Amino acid sequence: MATSTSFARRASTLLVGACVAAISLAQVSAAHAVVHTSTARAGTYTGRLVSTIWGTVQVKAVINSAGRITNVIAVKLTDRGRRSVDISNRAAPILRTRVLSAQSARVSMVSGATVTSTAYLSSLQNALDKAGFTG
Amino acid sequence: MLTRTFDTMGTTVSLRLVEVVGVDADAAVAVAQDAFEDLNERFSLYRDQSEISRIARGELTLAQASDEMRSAYGDALEWRDKTGGAFTPHRPDGVLDLSGTIKAVGIQRAFDTLRAAGYRDFAVNCGGDILFAGTPDDAESWTVGIIDPADRTRTVTSIRMDQARPACATSSNAERGEHIWRRPDTDITFAQVTVVAPDILTADVCATAIIAGGHETMNQLTHAFDIAVLVVLNDGEFLGNAKFSELLNT
Repeated sequence: MATSTSFARRASTLLVGACVAAISLAQVSAAHAVVHTSTARAGTYTGRLVSTIWGTVQVKAVINSAGRITNVIAVKLTDRGRRSVDISNRAAPILRTRVLSAQSARVSMVSGATVTSTAYLSSLQNALDKAGFTG
Repeated sequence: MLTRTFDTMGTTVSLRLVEVVGVDADAAVAVAQDAFEDLNERFSLYRDQSEISRIARGELTLAQASDEMRSAYGDALEWRDKTGGAFTPHRPDGVLDLSGTIKAVGIQRAFDTLRAAGYRDFAVNCGGDILFAGTPDDAESWTVGIIDPADRTRTVTSIRMDQARPACATSSNAERGEHIWRRPDTDITFAQVTVVAPDILTADVCATAIIAGGHETMNQLTHAFDIAVLVVLNDGEFLGNAKFSELLNT
């Protein structure tokens, strides 16, 4: 458990990086590598409050049964005055790889800005409808 | 599972229906289509003889309008207040335009007719805004792909819908929307906004309002409503709240 808490702390540092500048793929891979060699148990771990030069932050890390961090969720970030604020339902930067890696082949419905009936004919939704994708 | 499509409200509706013994799909789909068409006849600004077109031309005042028109107008005004004005039922030229809420009302009504026909597990997708019931016949939950605003032939991610929030709507700044009027001071870095909510009207209005109102509206609405939000920024990066992260496929 102590090890897992340290992952969440490490994730905190990464997330702060993400808030200040776009996080690089290299950083994300490093985080995965660290966890991959660990004995972390699956579950959701809330990190400690971490003091940074940008203020106090806190994150939750979700670890799967393979010991990999599959998600990092900000719990507390700093506002413009560097005060620490609860952001339980606020939108914050999400790791790009985390979003992109959630692609599924089981999609049967596509959500996007409204298209006209004409544009629908060349749309992804039409392709799925034609293919009879029902997953 | 059946797949059915039909055109209405200037876009295409796509349905998924897990078959139920004894329910006539053709009849049920026709009733669902009528639910959209009835609304379109009254509320479409593209139809010269619709009630809303007559109001736009000044031939009819709101005071003389039908109960349904005034009720829809009242609902839209409530959403204007709940979104701090980011969502509005008026075009900049003052013309009343209820297309921002009517499509969602149509989805809900069509959904209700399908349920009344006997369906338990189904989905109604109207031009990219979707309302789900139950589960598909071959998986534990419905999966939705979120379109890539930079390349509409692809998705950027996919999410698993849950029973608590069965509605998903997406708005983009490329939308030639009748109902999206961005304020001059709004952050224009939001390329696309997806909102997952307990009902389709909340999902649709919040997605539109966040595109129109930017960061400030997003923070206000994620605080006020039980919604999951994903924003695709112009540079391809993402913003999302914890509720959205939890829906992502792992």
